[in-house]
Amino acid sequence: MEFKEVVGRRRSIRFFEPDKPVEREKVQVILETARLASCAVNAHWLRAIVVERDKIPPDKLNQLKTPVAALTLDLAPIHIYFFCDLGVVKRIKGSRLRELVDAGALAPTHGWSHKFVDEFVYPQILEPMTNNLQGYLAAAMADCGGAAQNALLAAFDEGLGACLNTPNPVLTKQVFGVPDDWVSLWVMLVGYPAESWEAGGQRPRPPFEELYYEGDINTPFRRDAGVVEKLKAAGMITRPAPLPERRQEIMQLAERLNLPT
Amino acid sequence: MRGEAISSIRDSATVQAWVSGLREQWGEEPADMRARIAILQRFCAFVEREPDAIIEECSRDVDGGKRIRIKKRRFYSEKIDEFQASVEGDARAQARTGNIVRSFLIHNGIFMQGGVGGQ
Repeated sequence: MEFKEVVGRRRSIRFFEPDKPVEREKVQVILETARLASCAVNAHWLRAIVVERDKIPPDKLNQLKTPVAALTLDLAPIHIYFFCDLGVVKRIKGSRLRELVDAGALAPTHGWSHKFVDEFVYPQILEPMTNNLQGYLAAAMADCGGAAQNALLAAFDEGLGACLNTPNPVLTKQVFGVPDDWVSLWVMLVGYPAESWEAGGQRPRPPFEELYYEGDINTPFRRDAGVVEKLKAAGMITRPAPLPERRQEIMQLAERLNLPT
Repeated sequence: MRGEAISSIRDSATVQAWVSGLREQWGEEPADMRARIAILQRFCAFVEREPDAIIEECSRDVDGGKRIRIKKRRFYSEKIDEFQASVEGDARAQARTGNIVRSFLIHNGIFMQGGVGGQ
């Protein structure tokens, strides 16, 4: 699938085919895509634990259910729990930044050297940053968000459906016995969609000009109608929700999966 | 089920809210609304509560809105499981019965989910 079409087809899928397994290689593709996300100082905070719904003991599965996501956990065959490993920066002490210098990604043309990394960046910036939890957490989680978004798009590119949910952080850590410095983030539920790919249509978004600016905050970024048309043609901007057939679709899904209406 | 009992719960505020929620969601009142209300009536007898009392127990007023009482919500969720297990029919038919009661709670703002197949 073309990139723009993948973006256009991504939406939170909440109706999965409960009995259609997801191929292991597709799960690996999702993880491989997360690993290649952009990442500050090449630290890689994101960790993931993949759970096959039918292989996790029922008592653990029940512990992981939140009131809002109990049904989707039952429907989706694969659950990927994402965590933020806050301890990584202190463990690697800038070594992965050095790798970027070795790889020529960070070059002297832009002021980079091993000496700068070893004597300045780690001791003066990174290490102190980890001691200011509020700022550090925000930075690390932003990076995890980017990687999780890559994973999400990969799922759709593989013809799957997916949805990010927020699990109970305390119970999640307890169930998986993760280290103390891992922060529970999201669970990405993955499976083959039981609903149509449009799933009711592209979700409503705030107006473009309300979100993006040009030069200062008083000048909205001008949205070119021609670009919008091109994106529609490329499948990135698709039919907006609500679609007229959605009500009927939900009724049919409720009937087939035996869900309340 | 006596006709007057059905009429009396149909007039209660929470049943009205349920019917109106279904109408709003699906564009029309379900053709089998009377049968659904009869099932709710049976559930009410099962837990010995009026519909309005069930909803009132599951939520409380707080500044700026309502809050769901988790323990009560869980209590009724379990009671629905018990209720559906007590009715005749296969698991699918039982779940359908339970889902009618869940629908009553849902359209009254009490978040509730069944499992797959309503189990």
